[in-house]
Amino acid sequence: MDVAASNSKDIATASSSTSGREGLRGWLNPTRYGWERVSYWLQRLTGLGLLIYFIGHVYETSSLTNGINAWNSMLQLTQTLGGHLFLLFVIGASTFHTVNGIRLIFTESGKGLGKPGRPDYPYHAASLNYKQKSGIWVAILLACIAMLYGGMVLFGEGR
Amino acid sequence: MALLKLRESQIMKIHYLTGIVALFAVAIHILFRLIMPFGQSLLYQNVISNYHNIFYALLLESILILISIHGFNGLRIILVELKQSPRWESTITILVLISMIGIIAYGTRTIVIASGL
Repeated sequence: MDVAASNSKDIATASSSTSGREGLRGWLNPTRYGWERVSYWLQRLTGLGLLIYFIGHVYETSSLTNGINAWNSMLQLTQTLGGHLFLLFVIGASTFHTVNGIRLIFTESGKGLGKPGRPDYPYHAASLNYKQKSGIWVAILLACIAMLYGGMVLFGEGR
Repeated sequence: MALLKLRESQIMKIHYLTGIVALFAVAIHILFRLIMPFGQSLLYQNVISNYHNIFYALLLESILILISIHGFNGLRIILVELKQSPRWESTITILVLISMIGIIAYGTRTIVIASGL
């Protein structure tokens, strides 16, 4: 009786999601997948963040055309603690996006994917190997180092 | 409308190429902020003198074009991944192209005025 009830529940659940679409929620859900999914997610989020920063930067620098006072008042807005913290995010995001992007170019050209083979249990995909994973870790590590250096320049009056 | 007829593989090649070239161009752009203390490099006179250097102005223009193409194509890729239909894809492509041209035009205006061309 319990088995029958469980089966009917499964069938009902399956028929309610026949389209298989999860939309944005599915796109943002990194829990069912490995580091490759986290990397996919971060690549897109950092890309969007950098595009927003780029548009803001083009607008910010356009104040140059209005003379020294306009430029200085724009600097007063950006050269603050909040502005510097935002720049640190931009430094980290751009470093991760660049390094992970280079990894993706290699991946798309077939480099570091491993040889295709028969799918045997426990079904580890040859393409999701240590080379790919280490590429993601290197991207995260370099982003942290870049943020550290950026923090020293922005907050340390250094060069 | 020829841009709308590019194959996705050709667009991806453009995406990768603009990304790699932009990496070097942006590196030079950042170096200009680091050859002296960061705060001093942002002084109005210093920035304007950077813009009066024709090679630096050309570098800024190339960064503007490269990042616009790369960034707005990236946005197009994300939006096309979320939903697929011929109407959606062509609408997104047209909107992205308009935004890209708008940003390039606005940034070019700044470069032309600030460099005194």
